[in-house]
Amino acid sequence: MAQSKGSVFHRLYVGTGAFDIVGKRKRWYVLFGLILLVCTASMIFKGFNAGIDFTGGTRVQLPAVSASGPISTDAAKESFTKALGEEPTAVQSVGTGASATLQIRSETLDAAKVATLKTALNNDLQPTGGLDTISDSAVSASWGDAITTKALIALGVFFLAVAIFLALYFEWQMAVAALVAVVHDVVITAGIYSLVGFEVSPATVIGLLTILGFSLYDTVVVFDKVKENTRGILGLTRRTYGEAANLAVNQTLMRSINTSLIALLPVLGLLVIGVGLLGVGTLKDLALVQLTGMAIGALSSIYIATPVAVDLKMRDPRYRAQAARVQARRDNLARKATGEPATGGDVVESTDDEALQAELRKEKALTAAAGVPSRTGKAADARRRPTGKKHR
Amino acid sequence: MAPPAGQIRPAKYLGAFVLIVVALYSLVFFTGNGKATPKLGIDLQGGTRVTLTARAPDGQTPTDQALDQARDLIETRVNGLGVSGAEVVRDGTNLVITVPGADSEGAKRLGQTAKLNFRKVVGSPQPNAQPAPPSSSAPATSGSAAPTTTPSAPAGSENATAPTTTAQGRPAPALEGQPETSTPPASTPPATTTSAKPEVDCRKVFRGEYSEKPEDAIAESRACRQDPSLTTLDAQTVAQALGAFTCPTKDPLLGNDDPSLPLLTCDQKNEFKYVLAPVNPPKDGSVKDDDFSLYSRLSGEDIKDAVSGTDPQGAGFIVNLTFEGDGGDKWGKFTSANVSQQVAVVLDSQVVSAPNINEPILGGSTQISGKFTQKDAEGLANVLKYGSLPLSFEASEAETVSATLGLSSLQAGLIAGGIGLALVFLYCLLYYRLLGMLTILSLVLSGVVVYAVLVLLGRWIGFTLDLAGIAGFIVSIGITADSFVVFFERLKDEVREGRTFRSAVPRAWVRSRRTILSADAVSFLASAILWIIAVGQVKGFAFTLGMSTVLDLVVVFLVTHPLVAMVSKSKSLSSPKLSGLGGAVQAGADERALSAAKRAAVKEV
Repeated sequence: MAQSKGSVFHRLYVGTGAFDIVGKRKRWYVLFGLILLVCTASMIFKGFNAGIDFTGGTRVQLPAVSASGPISTDAAKESFTKALGEEPTAVQSVGTGASATLQIRSETLDAAKVATLKTALNNDLQPTGGLDTISDSAVSASWGDAITTKALIALGVFFLAVAIFLALYFEWQMAVAALVAVVHDVVITAGIYSLVGFEVSPATVIGLLTILGFSLYDTVVVFDKVKENTRGILGLTRRTYGEAANLAVNQTLMRSINTSLIALLPVLGLLVIGVGLLGVGTLKDLALVQLTGMAIGALSSIYIATPVAVDLKMRDPRYRAQAARVQARRDNLARKATGEPATGGDVVESTDDEALQAELRKEKALTAAAGVPSRTGKAADARRRPTGKKHR
Repeated sequence: MAPPAGQIRPAKYLGAFVLIVVALYSLVFFTGNGKATPKLGIDLQGGTRVTLTARAPDGQTPTDQALDQARDLIETRVNGLGVSGAEVVRDGTNLVITVPGADSEGAKRLGQTAKLNFRKVVGSPQPNAQPAPPSSSAPATSGSAAPTTTPSAPAGSENATAPTTTAQGRPAPALEGQPETSTPPASTPPATTTSAKPEVDCRKVFRGEYSEKPEDAIAESRACRQDPSLTTLDAQTVAQALGAFTCPTKDPLLGNDDPSLPLLTCDQKNEFKYVLAPVNPPKDGSVKDDDFSLYSRLSGEDIKDAVSGTDPQGAGFIVNLTFEGDGGDKWGKFTSANVSQQVAVVLDSQVVSAPNINEPILGGSTQISGKFTQKDAEGLANVLKYGSLPLSFEASEAETVSATLGLSSLQAGLIAGGIGLALVFLYCLLYYRLLGMLTILSLVLSGVVVYAVLVLLGRWIGFTLDLAGIAGFIVSIGITADSFVVFFERLKDEVREGRTFRSAVPRAWVRSRRTILSADAVSFLASAILWIIAVGQVKGFAFTLGMSTVLDLVVVFLVTHPLVAMVSKSKSLSSPKLSGLGGAVQAGADERALSAAKRAAVKEV
């Protein structure tokens, strides 16, 4: 490689194919394979920390502040025991400042008991705002299961629909590669959940499903570039399929990073607010799962999806033959110009110019057909720059 | 070579967008109530939400018709609570009751929706206490009651000799009456168990032990506790079976009993045990249509109304009951045939009340009295009035959110969204400079459209924005912004290849448009599938996500691209410094210089 490529950031910014991602794919396979192994092991042996929606139970929530200062968890526990004659499962204080709340969890209570409990809590603890500020939710154990079952069905349907869509839009190798990447994302995100021991709620399960969309979104953008770069590659001897794909990854690298950052920023805000202000709940659950999933999804679109697509593609003898031709040409060149590498020095450019031109012409014709001819204002433009290219 | 292609007229596109915005906001302000506020979910404004899941006996999915009917009935019931803004929505096999506002606790009791039947009490009910010492009077009473238990017995004279459980001739629910301690030694397994299916161990069932799997438990309960022979056996055996039976703490049969079979069950408080006759006669025609000696043929759907009130003839409370259709006729025939017998009001396989029939009650309305408290009477009236759902339900999720918590959730959501937006703005400005400004403008406009659509959807299809929905919007900021990133990065690519900003725009647009469309299609596909399949809050999340994706396309096509095209035509605005493309221009130039040098080097050799 030429030394004049500059700093990492510059190479990233320009996207000249300076990072050999596809070529070193074995390394990524091993690395992510290991991570996958750890995640799967954690899911099998450690399991998940199932939330109230999966175990069933009642959760009562009240402001953690009374007129006479903060309410302690012990006081809440005592009041609960006094009111119902049984111990709550857990009492915890979440959130900060004025929006801090106490959460009491217990076995499922019926409506009458909840009413009794609320009155008792209000009398004993006198939270600011009185009885009306006490919230409660009761969930049957089967509810979480119902949601999970539906989520799994959604997952299946989703995979099928996406596979069909991608296979039609791109090619089956890319569809398979995209699915591999998505499965990888889901497993790792779930694994991280299991490892860290975050509570799993239906919102988490759903968050997991939306990651799929995100991960695929990234992959589609990269594949779109790969498709563009490899159009008609069988007839050319300039690059192999793998190299063209690598170039595509590099060209979209900055975009992938930008997209992920832009997508992650709001989620980060969501997480900070969700945890900081409210303690727990839908916001936090969704944010947490999205944060992990998005980061992984961006990585996998680069390090998993494209390399897998290349591997699948290279099983096709035609592409192998083409790669051999490229090699032969390079050997030839190398013999002519000793020591001069043929790769690396190429100007970044796309190979689908003809298609693009055709589309632009069509576009122009359409615009012309749709509106009143408006040559008058454009005359000066046309004179100033007749070719529209190489103006600098 | 390339002409200055795709001379789009930005004004046209922008005009179309303005038209859309104007149209949307005129709809917002001039239709409906004209208030520009979206409908908030109860987790944002406080209130109660109860999710009822239809219990599916035999694992069958309930029919749409039954679910819709149930929905209507529950809606009537919710409106009966006297709160405004209450809603009952069908979500798959779930019914979601939403009652906004602080005074919404009553909605939770609506979860007690059930199947109601009238069943004749066979034999004498027994207390659910552990084996009591047999009293001397027991054999005599149970013996005299025996004839009534045989279906072939002619209705009439013999029934009159059956003992009533109340002394003063005042009808009363059996639980208020003196328990008849006709308990034979409870340890002896009743004869009925032998006639049950061999693979089910009824002894276990009678001890209150059931299988883990709900379907198996239901099957076991049916096999043992709904044995058809229960009504044909002699009183002694029935009493024995009753004695051996233990009320289960959690009854798997709940709401799953077969109305054409007898039933062995307990009351709601597990205080008494009953053997009950079938509701409907077997369909084989062995029972004549006018034989009401055993079969009431009445279910909750025959009840028109039930009202509780004070007893005009004395202290205490009563429940007045009216039947509709031929319900009154059936009730008349049934009571005529069973004077002095008990009839049990069975709600979800459990006895709510078992009053005595004092006299034939003709004319379609009847009165139940007893030692009720006001609350009891009201409860029974409600059960009778509303317990007439075609399905039985189970409360899967019941949530009451206080208005303060709702408000702080809403605030938290808005702050989170605000912070998210601000961060994205900042990043775009730093990275894309002028193009970043366009991004921000597009995002803001997209927000404007989203808000209007939100208000309108709330009005038209009752779409409520909940916390999950807000999360969906926040997440979609990223997706929306990403379309711009794709476009701008393409623009950079083109500029890097040596084109001017101006000529790069149409080329970059054509190429990125394809990418944006396909990426948004995947994203939309994901949310659509989620929306169709998911339940509960998830639906809100999927909906907002999908909606933002579509609106994102509108904004990118009608606003962002035309604006960029406009900027590219303006000389001052399109300077590399302002556009943030300077780096790319420079990089492109460097690259070309480098490769030119290389080529030259190759030639020299």
